[in-house]
Formats: sequence, C-alpha cells, structure tokens
Amino acid sequence: MSRKPELRGRAARLARLLPGTASPGQAARAPFVLLVVLLLGGGLIGLLVLNSALSEGSFKLTDLQKDTKSLTDEQQALQRDIDAYSAPDALVRRARELGMVPGGDPAFLDPDGTVKGVPSAAPDADPVTYHMPLVLAPEVIDSTAVPTPTASPTPTETVVPAPEDVVPTPETVPSDVPLPTTTTPGR
Amino acid sequence: MTEVSDDFGRQPPRRRVPGPARPERSARPVGRSRPGPGARPARRPSAPRAAAPKTIRLGSPRPRLRLVGLALTLVLAAFVVRLLQVQAVDASTYAAKAEQNRYVGYTLAAERGGITDRSGVALATSEDAYDITADPTLFTRKQLKIDDGPEQAAALLAPILGQDQETILGKLRPKDKKLRYVLLAHRQTPQVWKQIKDLKSALATKSATDPGTANVLGGVLSVPTTKRVYPNGDLAAGILGWVNADGKGGGGVEQQLNSLLAGKDGKVRYAQSGGRQVPTVGSTETPAVPGSDVELTIDRDIQWAAQQAITDQVKESKADRGYVIVQDTRTGEVLAMANSPGFDPNDLSKARSVNMGNAALQDAYEPGSTAKVMSMAAVLEQGVATPLTHVIVPNRLHRGDRLFKDDIDHETWYLTLNGVLAKSSNIGTILATGQLGKSQAQANQVLYSYLRKFGLGRYSGLDFPGETPGILAKPADWSTSQQYTIPFGQGVSLNAMQAASVYSTIANGGVRVEPTLVRGTKGPDGRFTPAAKPKETRVVSARTAKTLARMLESVVDDQEGTGTKARIPGYRVAGKTGTANRVDPATGKYKGYTSSFAGFAPADQPRITVYCAIQNATSGSYFGGQICGPVYKKVMEFALKTLQVPPTGAKAAKLPVSYTP
Repeated sequence: MSRKPELRGRAARLARLLPGTASPGQAARAPFVLLVVLLLGGGLIGLLVLNSALSEGSFKLTDLQKDTKSLTDEQQALQRDIDAYSAPDALVRRARELGMVPGGDPAFLDPDGTVKGVPSAAPDADPVTYHMPLVLAPEVIDSTAVPTPTASPTPTETVVPAPEDVVPTPETVPSDVPLPTTTTPGR
Repeated sequence: MTEVSDDFGRQPPRRRVPGPARPERSARPVGRSRPGPGARPARRPSAPRAAAPKTIRLGSPRPRLRLVGLALTLVLAAFVVRLLQVQAVDASTYAAKAEQNRYVGYTLAAERGGITDRSGVALATSEDAYDITADPTLFTRKQLKIDDGPEQAAALLAPILGQDQETILGKLRPKDKKLRYVLLAHRQTPQVWKQIKDLKSALATKSATDPGTANVLGGVLSVPTTKRVYPNGDLAAGILGWVNADGKGGGGVEQQLNSLLAGKDGKVRYAQSGGRQVPTVGSTETPAVPGSDVELTIDRDIQWAAQQAITDQVKESKADRGYVIVQDTRTGEVLAMANSPGFDPNDLSKARSVNMGNAALQDAYEPGSTAKVMSMAAVLEQGVATPLTHVIVPNRLHRGDRLFKDDIDHETWYLTLNGVLAKSSNIGTILATGQLGKSQAQANQVLYSYLRKFGLGRYSGLDFPGETPGILAKPADWSTSQQYTIPFGQGVSLNAMQAASVYSTIANGGVRVEPTLVRGTKGPDGRFTPAAKPKETRVVSARTAKTLARMLESVVDDQEGTGTKARIPGYRVAGKTGTANRVDPATGKYKGYTSSFAGFAPADQPRITVYCAIQNATSGSYFGGQICGPVYKKVMEFALKTLQVPPTGAKAAKLPVSYTP
C-alpha cells in the first residue's frame, strides 16, 4: 500500500512526457520534434539527391565510355584508311596510274648548278598500267563511310516483309558492303 | 494482496508500452475493459473477474511471466551467442565469404605497344576487334517459328563477313544439335560488328511490330577482343614476327621483345550490389601499364624496295628463297632485311610455316666467293701481299686430296691480287692465303682468327629469336679439303646478316659495328630510350679497309670483273659476287647454288651496305653477278636516293686486274 504514491509519482512523470497532457515542459517540445522531423526529412532528401547524383554520374560515365569507344573505333578505322593509302604498294600503284615511273640512276643537282651523278631520261610509262586518273581518294573514303547507314535500312525494308525474298536481297547488300575491302588499296 | 500484486504485475508492461491511446491512469476500469494495442493478452478481462474482482483467484501470473522471461532470455542468449560467433569467433571466415560475393574484379588488359620504323611509321599496331559468334540453338524452328532461320541469317551475314553462305550455314546448323557456341568470324573490325548490330536491331523492331517476321540475327553475338594489325601486310614480316592466339609474340621482334611490348595487365576490384558498384565502398584499381613502343632501325621504304626486288628475282629465277639486307655502314643499323617468300602476319592461316621465320637470320649457308674478301683482308693486313702482287693462276690446282678449279676453264691467268678478287679466282685465293703462315696449319690459324673477328661462327648481336651463329669449325678440326675451301667460302657457313656485316666492317674502315635492329623504345610515359650503343671492334686497319674497298671496286668496275651488272653510273660501287655450291638442307648433300652479291657504296665514302643472296635458282642464270647484281643495284639505288647520298665525284681506283708476264 505504501507504494501507491510512488507509483503515482512515476506515472505522473511519465504522463508529463506524453502528448496531450498539459505540463510546463510542453513549450520546449516543438523545436525538438521539428528538429527530428527535419533531420529525418533532410536525411531522406539527402539520400535521394545522393542517389540521383550517383545515377546521373553513372549514366554520364556510360555515355562517355560509349563516346570514347566509338571515337576510338572511328580513329582506328581512319588510321587504317591512312595506312592503306600510304602503304608503299598503294603509292606505287597510284603513281603508275598517274603515269609515273620509278626514277633511274640517282643524280643530284647542287645549288650552284653542278650535277652529281649521271642523269638519264626516265623510261616511258607502261601504257597498260597507265589509265587516266584513278585517284579516287574521296570516293573511296565515301564508300567506306557509306555502308553503315545504308546497310541496315536496305535489307530490313526488303527482307522482313517476305522471308522468301531473303536470298535475292543480300545481293543488294554486297554491292554496298564489300566495296571498302576491294577498293581500299594495299590490304 | 492478490489484487495489489495483480495490479502491480500488470502495471510495468503498461508503463513500458508507449501508445497514443493510453488511457488516463485515473480511468483504470475503462482501460481495463478496453485492451490497448500494446496490451498483453494476459490482461484480458473476463466477465467473472469483472463481476467479482475480489473473490475469483486467478492463476498466478508470476510463473507465466518467468517462463516468458526465461524463453526470451534463452532466445536472446542464442542470438548473442550467434552474434558473438559471427562477429568475433568466425568473423574472418564470414567476412571472406561475404567478400567473395560482394567484390567483383576483372583484369584490365594492357595495350600492346606498337612497332614503328625509324621514322615512326607504324609497322605493327593493336586495334579493337570483335569475334563474331553465334548460338545455333537460337536459330531453330522452336525459337524463330520459321524453318529457314539459319539460311536467312547466313544470307544476311555472308556479305558482311565476306564468307560463303554455305560456310556460315554449316556453322549455324551444326550436326551437334545441343551446340550453343560457334565462331562465325575471327577478329572483325568494330565497323563490321556495328553493321551486324544495326541489322539486328532493325530486325528486332520489325519483328516486334510485325509478328510474321522473325529476328533471324537474334542469336548472333560478339566477344570483344583485340587484334594485332600489320598495316603494311607482308612488309618486314620476317623481322616483326607475329602474335599468337594468346596475345604473346610468336616470332620475330614480337617474340624477342614480348615482355616490353606486352606491358602489364591491371586489375580492378570493387564492391557490387545488384551488378552495380557501391560507391561508398572503396575500390582498388591497379591501372594497366601499356606496353612500350618499339622503334626499329628499319626504313619502311628501303625495306619495301628490298622486298620488292628480291621477291621479283626469286620468282623469276624460280629459287627456293632469297634475302636482302641493307645496313648503314657507320652505325651498324639494319635499314632493311627482306625475305622472299614471306608471309602476311595479318592472316597466318594462309602462311606456310617454312616461310614464317626470318630466313636472313635463321638460314646458315655456305657463302662462296663473297667470303673471299675476308681472306684478302687477312692477306693484306698480314702484309704478305699488296693488291698489285702478281699471282699466276693455273687452270687446275692440286691441294690436299682435291683438284681445285675456277668457275670457268681458263688458260693460265696472270693476275694481280686485285685481279684474283675481281675475277673471283678460287685458285688465286688458295695461293694467296697459303702465304699467311709458314705452314698450312699456321695459315689456317691466322685465317681463322680473321674470320672470327669478322663475326663468323658467333651470334651477330641482334639477339633475334631463332638466329643461327653459322658454322665455323676450329682450325684444328678443319679437314684436309676444308683448309683450302674455307678461303673461298666453302666448308664454312653463315647467315645473311653476318655476311652483310663483313662488308659493313670493311666499309666502316675496318671497325666492326655490331648490327642493330632496334633503335629504341618509347615507354608509356612517352619518353624515348635509345637502344644501347652497339659494340665496336677493330678487325683490320683503316688502310687495309681502304685498299680492300678499292679492290672491290674492280669487281664491279672492271670489264673483266664479275659484278658489272651492279654498276650505278656516277657512283663508285664496291661489290663482290658469290656463287657457291649449296648444301641442300633436305639431303645434306651439295645440290644447286647459292648466288649472292655483297657490296657498299659510295666506295670511297661508304654509307650503305647491301647484301643479296638467292638460294637454289633453278631458272635462268645462277651466277651471283647475274641475278643478285641487278637486285643489289635496284636496292642500292633506292637506298641512295632515300638517304640522299650523292656521288662523291672522285675518280675510280681502276686497279689493274692482270699483268703481262
């Protein structure tokens, strides 16, 4: 029986903490609750922002990696073209097409007009290999660039509607596709 | 008391459980009749209890509470024990297990360094590529709902991959129905894969809208890989070698400098969750160290000219093979080293394995008369003769167990020593080298020491894989005939590089500079490290070398010389022909000829050495001066023009070849 007042005292203290019960500490509670709400809300929003920032970063990374990849591919393809053009074999062939011939015995002309070595006239160009200009650098570059865009629409337009037509259509594809391999010299 | 204790026993849980619906303490009867959300079921009020709170005795709650408490304690204790076990006792094991799944790692492939010529033109580079593969089970009727899926796919792929439709069809309809992987094409360019990809996606969108069509390319896949590209095809293929399927150098410089070219693979390890990197967990990354670029001493243009010339001549002569070496006489740098037939390292499937080495370094053969220059060097250096010393050359000479003769039958020749070299007389050479010592054994010893100094019987210093040092026996082991044949280049064997180096030594004033093939390396930091300076050794005096150069001029210049086909108008050209009996590697017996020509220009101020050899010419002439002379001329002219070496304009030496007795 003697515990009852103590009990009451504890309960009273408890009751003071509970909302709804009028007590003198009520005024100070609002900022605390606000703080907690703010912290929670802030944390949530922070997480959201962080997550989206991360996602954005990873999207950007993927995009940039894709760009790098395609640019590397392009650079390597262009380098291949350059190499094909500058290969000695290709140069010789194109020079011959222009009617050039290999020089004879070496001779040097000094600034003062003296000639070192024994100069001789160049032999006539071989009429068989001598065609009019076949220097088609721009066309060849075009043909290497073209297949990628054209190859995909051409077959899909024609192939897909009628599967029986598949066999003839590839004949249209090769006319586009192997061009780079045949016209690019020196490979 | 029961009432109180009941009440008391009920109170603590009530106080511990927070809840908005907590009833006022004063209204206890209400709270009792209305159990709150957190209230214990034990508190369930019962009608009799409410009716007679004082009289009904309830079962004592204490044991019940104790039981629950005990159970809770046990459960918690189990948790704690398990926690301790997981976190403390077996922590490392579990951490390791977790890490296995949490962390993913992969290697970052190091980019293989390139190989360039002396002016930086790429001879070998690495490119991204794709292996085009397919899963044949995705082309079946079950998957595509059509029967001719493989046929359609093959028809689409054939032009892109440049293969027959039948070949692709065979791969897409394998005999083994369960096969899930076939390789359609090896190492295709990214552009090829892009074409297929575009086609594939176009077909996919089409089949999505139109149920009548099937995406026949759905089963075509790709595996990214890299490919080694040799932009100049078979140019310098023997030097460069190739890269095998594992990405390691399989021959040539690719093999010799593999560790340098390969670089070091890197490693990435990061924590992942659902396949994506967890950003807050640190990842370890060891970046790949790309391989160094190697710069060769080769000049691409000269290499091309050399390769072109030797290939044409080998074809024309229907020969087994041929080599041309161009060397800078002053630095020992190899400007070109061409083999014919060669191979295209871009497509090894078409290469014949016998052609895949660098024959100029790997073939040992008897040089023949081109080796006479070493005998002459010994004779001149020892001071036993001068270029004008008279030599009477009979038609036949009996030495040891054999009767020696010259390449043509002749009346007794009255030649100078210069003439012996110009007309390439075997007998004259035997007579001259016989003077090297008081006895033949002594002469052999002296000759041997010179041959060694010229680099015979030892590795050239290139450190090239598969290189042969040639065969030069010790003079004590020379057979009776060998001691008379070695002076004119039979019974001793060397490789083309060694032969070229002999002439470069004479051209360089008697100082032998070890040949080099690698000019330097460019590390990943872009810094160029020049190769170590080659070793230099004096073989003969500058005076002897000069005299020899003038004698070699007579070979080309003199009307009676054997190398007139190598003349370059305006230039003083030194050279020596060679036509040797060739040991057939298949039988080990003499069969056919080794034709060769070696020389340098300009003779009075040498810059370039060119050496040419053709093995077993079967069509037309087999004389070195006839078939290798023109090759020499072509290559030398090209090299002189490329390096812009003007003629010196000095008068030719015109040493006398013969004398009238």
